[in-house]
Amino acid sequence: MQFEKQIAVAAPREKVWEFIWDVDRFIACVPGCKEAKTLEDGKIYTATMVEKVGPFRVEFPMRIEIEQSEPLSHIKARASGSDSKIGSLMKIELEVNLKEEGSGTLLSFVATVDILGKLATLGHSMVKRKADQVMAEFVEKLKKSLETDT
Amino acid sequence: MLRRFHLDEPETVKDASDLLSRYGESAKIYAGGTELLLAMKEGLIQSERLVNVKKIPGLDEIKRIGDSVHIGALATHRKLESSAELQQSLPAFVQMEANVANIRVREVGTVGGNLCFAEPHADPGILLLALGAGVVAQNASNMREIPMDNYFVDAFETCLKPDELLTEVRVPIPPPQSAVRYLKFGYLQRPSVGVALRLSLGDGGLIRDVRVAVGCAGPKPCRVEEAEELLKGKGLQEASELIGEAGQIAGRAAEAIGDLHGSAEYKEHIIQVLLKRAFHQMVQEEFSSKGEGGPHA
Repeated sequence: MQFEKQIAVAAPREKVWEFIWDVDRFIACVPGCKEAKTLEDGKIYTATMVEKVGPFRVEFPMRIEIEQSEPLSHIKARASGSDSKIGSLMKIELEVNLKEEGSGTLLSFVATVDILGKLATLGHSMVKRKADQVMAEFVEKLKKSLETDT
Repeated sequence: MLRRFHLDEPETVKDASDLLSRYGESAKIYAGGTELLLAMKEGLIQSERLVNVKKIPGLDEIKRIGDSVHIGALATHRKLESSAELQQSLPAFVQMEANVANIRVREVGTVGGNLCFAEPHADPGILLLALGAGVVAQNASNMREIPMDNYFVDAFETCLKPDELLTEVRVPIPPPQSAVRYLKFGYLQRPSVGVALRLSLGDGGLIRDVRVAVGCAGPKPCRVEEAEELLKGKGLQEASELIGEAGQIAGRAAEAIGDLHGSAEYKEHIIQVLLKRAFHQMVQEEFSSKGEGGPHA
């Protein structure tokens, strides 16, 4: 599944860049994400993703590795984790780009998400739908957090 | 493999609701088990406690009260398809029930369980929406009736509160000069598309009331009021010219999702075909041969 999102943020690029690397504040914008930890600053992080669709609940402890990072403009990361209870694996490849747009910033995300195992039996469409909802909530929280923050 | 779980067997709705309040998400209601046990065996749902509601007396009764039929949530699909009362008052509902899944599922699966699990590819919710039905939700101290229009929230999600049990489905019997159809299409075990239509004629053979509902194609069953508006107040001839357009509207309203059952465009097309077919069936089988005052379906 591929997701693309562009977010126009009324905040300068330096501030957005700084925000992305502030693990606690950034994670607070990701719905269902908890227990974020920095293993190696700027390179390796861990976090747990918890999601619920009706009676189904999944919990993925994720390891996030930053593969490339160009200050103020680009991040490429890879994340993976498995939910052993339901026997499912999630892999995410993420590219983030920042571009100056007037006095604000255009933040764009391209995420490729692969889900393997029993969770996939719920159906691609259900998972995609839930992921779209999570993404929309993330965008809203991120904008709110960046634009109201001083 | 099914993991170990604790089984509670309350004998009243109040006790069942109390158990749900006490144990929260770790407890799940167990009725027919046709969906729940499969998901538990697959490990998709882990539940430490099952609350077996089948020991609660009276929850599977089918009663006619005034102009409605009250169906206990624990009535199995099999019981519904063989109910003399329903044959008499809601034959289209009986026909739908007789084609739910397969005989093994119908023998143990309950109408309440089907509605509570809210699996998107399910038949009863769609027809109940078109029939203008409602469900009764009860917890330890309160009882409320929820119209089907407000019941489904999303795929696998309903508006029931965590401590509520769905105890009854109340279906109004269509007035005279009405017809009801539920048609579905699919080539996998579950339907890809389901369409329900209820038409009631008034004076001069004009459509006095119409309800259109679609489901299976998208995340939840939905009523298509825009299509209903198009048909309302029209004569059957005029409606037959508009039914294709109503089908297109219904297709779009279904929020069809492309998946193993077919692409979104395919499902939208099938919805249009089924709505047209349902309408023409009614006209030919119920309204034309018996005059426009034929019995309700």
